[in-house]
Amino acid sequence: MIHQYKLGGYSIVLDVCSGSVHVVDDVAYDIIALMDGGCDDREAILARMGERYPDLPTGEIAECMEQVLALRDAGKLFAPDVFEPMAGELKERTSGVVKALCMHVAHTCNLNCAYCFASQGKYHGERAVMSFEVGKQALDFLVAHSGTRRNLEVDFFGGEPLMNFDVVKRLVAYARSIEKESGKHFRFTLTTNGMLVDDDVINFANRECHNVVLSLDGRKAIHDACRVDYAGNGSWDRIVPKFQRFVEKRGGKGYYMRGTFTHANPDFLEDIKTMLDLGFDQLSMEPVVCAEGDPAALTEADLPVVLKQYEDLARLMIERRREGRPFTFYHYMIDLTGGPCVYKRISGCGSGTEYMAVTPWGDLYPCHQFVGEEPFRLGDIWHGVTNDAVQARFAACNVYARPECRECWARLYCSGGCAANAWHATGSVNGVYKYGCELFKKRMECAIMVEIDRQFGESDE
Amino acid sequence: MTHIKTIETRNLCDSAKNGGCGECQTSCQSACKTSCGIANQQCEQKADK
Repeated sequence: MIHQYKLGGYSIVLDVCSGSVHVVDDVAYDIIALMDGGCDDREAILARMGERYPDLPTGEIAECMEQVLALRDAGKLFAPDVFEPMAGELKERTSGVVKALCMHVAHTCNLNCAYCFASQGKYHGERAVMSFEVGKQALDFLVAHSGTRRNLEVDFFGGEPLMNFDVVKRLVAYARSIEKESGKHFRFTLTTNGMLVDDDVINFANRECHNVVLSLDGRKAIHDACRVDYAGNGSWDRIVPKFQRFVEKRGGKGYYMRGTFTHANPDFLEDIKTMLDLGFDQLSMEPVVCAEGDPAALTEADLPVVLKQYEDLARLMIERRREGRPFTFYHYMIDLTGGPCVYKRISGCGSGTEYMAVTPWGDLYPCHQFVGEEPFRLGDIWHGVTNDAVQARFAACNVYARPECRECWARLYCSGGCAANAWHATGSVNGVYKYGCELFKKRMECAIMVEIDRQFGESDE
Repeated sequence: MTHIKTIETRNLCDSAKNGGCGECQTSCQSACKTSCGIANQQCEQKADK
C-alpha cells in the first residue's frame, strides 16, 4: 500500500508495509500514483508521463521509471502486507503478562475541570484515595504477572495523585526495595494538575520519575475557562510558576506540558505558542475526550481548523529548529529508524492485557478510561483477572480487527486505535472513532514531513 | 538525476526476526492518555545498543 501527499514543499511517498519513506519529484510522484492505481505497463506509463511532461526528455522520464522499479524490486515500494498472520502472536506469546499499571491513587481532585473524562476524579463513583496496602498489593500483582519483562511502568494518576502524595512516596520506596530481588526495573510517571507541586514534589519527581505530565491548557483565558477550583476560580496563575520551577529543576529529564483542546479552542496552536512563551519546550496537546453533544466536544466544523493547526504547528517546529530554538511535540516525535518492531505495530495498545488501571479499591480495569464502567471491570489485584470474556475482547483488538484499519495507510503508525475512544464513539471497543483517525493521520503526515525536513531541509537551502 | 530520496527507516519485515520482546513502552501510558500512537516509541532493543 502506498500513501502519497504534498506538504511543507515536499512530495512524500510512504510505502506502508515496508515502512519506507521517500521524498520524490513530481515525475516520480506521478509514476508511483499511476502504478498504485493499477497501471503496471511500463510503456503505457512512459507514454502517459510523456504527455503530462512534454518538456522533459524521454530519457529523463525513463530514468525516473527505472528508479521507481528498482525501489519496488528492493521491497521499498509496493511491499505487500505479510504481517496479518502475526497479528495475534505477540499477545498469545505474552498472554497473562502485565507490564504497566495506571495507579489511580486518588479518585478525588482539587480542581473541578469542566471537561474531565473522570468526572472530577470520581470516575462516576465515590471519592477515595488508595491506601498503601492496596498500592503495595498492586505492585506485587504487577511483579508477579510480569513474566520475563524487566521494565515495568507505573503511572500515578487520578484525580489528582498529589492529594495522596505520602502513599505515592511510600509505594515508590517499596518498589525500589524489591527491584533487585525481583529483577525488575520500575519506570514511574506522574500526571498532575500542579496545584500541590512544591519543592518536595519536585525533588521526589526529579529523583524517581522517568517522566512527568503537567496539565496546562495554554492561554490563560482558555485554561481558566475549564480548569477551575471548586469555587470556580481559574488555576493558571497558581500553577504556571510551579510548573516553571518544576521544569527548570528537572535538569533535562523528560516531561510533557500537556494541554487539552476542546470546541472552545480548536485554534490550539495559540495555546502551544503560550506554552513556548512560558519557557516550556516538551509539549503535548490532546483533543478532548467526551460524549458527543457535550459543549466541549469537537465538532465537524472544528475539524478543518484543527487540521490546519497541525500543519501550522509543523511549520512552527521547523522554523524554531532552524532558529536554534527547537521544541518537541509528543505526536511529532517520530522515530523512523529506532521505532517499534512490526509486532508492536500490529498488536494494538495493550489495554486490558499488558496494561491495566487499578482503582483505589484494587479493582482492575482495561485502562484508565474504562475505570468506573462496571461491565469492563476485569477483576482485582488479589484474585487477578476473572472477567475472561472482557479481557478476550481486548486481547482481540489489533490492527487487523477492524475492516477500516486494514485499508488505512496509517495502521502501522497507530496500531489500530484507542479502544476507549472507539467505545465512546461507537459503543464497541472494536469500533472506529473516525474523527480521531482524521486527526491521527494528519499528525502522522506532519510528523513525517518535519522529520524529512530535519534530514533534508537544511542541505537543500 | 536522482528523482527519489529515501529516508533511512527501520525495515519492518526484518524487525519481525528478532522482534516481539515486549519490553517497549505501553502506548499511551505516560503522555497523552488519549490516543494510541506507537510511531514515537523507542524499540528497547535498539535503545540498549
